[in-house]
Amino acid sequence: MKQENISQNIKKLNQIIDWFENQEDLDVELGLKKVKEAMELIKQTKERLKKTENEFEEIKKDFSKK
Amino acid sequence: MKENKSYLRQTLEKNTFSVSAYLDILNTLLSSCKTKVAGEVSELKKASSGHVYFSLKDKKDGSVLNCVIWSSVYKFCGVELKEGVEIKVFGFADIYKQNGRITFKCSSIELMGEGELKKQYEELKRKLEKEGLFDESRKKEIPLLPCNIGIITSKEGAVINDFLNNLGQYGFKIKLVDSRVEGIEAVKDLLRAIKTLKGEKLDCLVIMRGGGSLESFLAFNNETLIKEVAKLSIPVIVAIGHDKDVPLLALSADKMVSTPTAAANLLNESWHRLEWEIKEKENAIFSFLSSFFESIKLLEYKVKEVLPKIIESRIDNLRMIIANAESVVNHNNPERNLALGYSIARKSGKVIKSIKGIEKEDIIDLEIMDGIINTKVNETRKYKSKH
Repeated sequence: MKQENISQNIKKLNQIIDWFENQEDLDVELGLKKVKEAMELIKQTKERLKKTENEFEEIKKDFSKK
Repeated sequence: MKENKSYLRQTLEKNTFSVSAYLDILNTLLSSCKTKVAGEVSELKKASSGHVYFSLKDKKDGSVLNCVIWSSVYKFCGVELKEGVEIKVFGFADIYKQNGRITFKCSSIELMGEGELKKQYEELKRKLEKEGLFDESRKKEIPLLPCNIGIITSKEGAVINDFLNNLGQYGFKIKLVDSRVEGIEAVKDLLRAIKTLKGEKLDCLVIMRGGGSLESFLAFNNETLIKEVAKLSIPVIVAIGHDKDVPLLALSADKMVSTPTAAANLLNESWHRLEWEIKEKENAIFSFLSSFFESIKLLEYKVKEVLPKIIESRIDNLRMIIANAESVVNHNNPERNLALGYSIARKSGKVIKSIKGIEKEDIIDLEIMDGIINTKVNETRKYKSKH
């Protein structure tokens, strides 16, 4: 999966959630595919968020030294 | 001195002189006895050469002294000689060898008596006015930030000290020419001083003296002096004060002030203004810098304190969104439902959501967690209470 930024990932996740909520006939294969996609997006987003948070903490530390 | 006198007396007593030699001795002695003599003008004769011959008469006893004033001296003495006028002459006596007559050679003349002085003052004032010497249009402005200043005044007295004490510390370069400013010889001195300063590179010339009576201002009502000053290419400040009548030199000057302090202040003026403007600009720069640093401090505060809080709150928000998405996805995950024991029934590949359209003996597929069961419908029972 292509690496997107957090905002784009959140947008895609919301689209998947909307898809589930509006589904009348459950297509198991497609549902499963969407679940896998969503899980991957969640994993990526968590990692990116963690990385961003770490970078932010570093910046805060640098600031407090000045 | 005593020795010299006695030597002279002995020489005169011991020797016999020719008339010419004797007169030479007398003339030598007389020329060293310069003095002032006052009297009334009579027998006035103006020669075509310009030399003026007249007698000075003692009003009390009628004594007469023959006088001459050479044209070169008369031209700039500033006095119009007329019979009956009372004057004071400065000079020395001389014996004319051809006829033995004594003649007083005048090196300068001054009018005496308030009435005559006033009359000549008014006459000259009218003349100069007519010639346009007092016109505002011909007056020169004091240059901005003057630096090289010529001064004509007496080195003695408080005037020069008053002036220098009041002159600001702006790097003025002063060229002072000492001159008598009062009395019978002042005009000559003043004219000589102007001539000296003409060769100097000056921004401005200041002519100064203390106050006094109309008589003591005589030099500054001299036509030659006034015209010489008017010819100068640099602006002239005249600070000579006045009694009732303003000296004519002051009227013709580019700037007239009453005291040396006022003259110094006039020269300081544009420097003061510059100093004030620099101070203003300095304040503006400091105020700009201080507000700039204030805004930097504010920006720093925002970056250090406010931004982290915004970012932290955004991160928390994102975490909640992700957690929510995770929960929704898990809830909808078919694998999870199948693992819980749920199955999906399909007839001809279409998901069965109702018993409507399902008949006995229909073949259906049941999808469970680990495979598909292909089965035949034995019976259908519709729930009474549901749907």
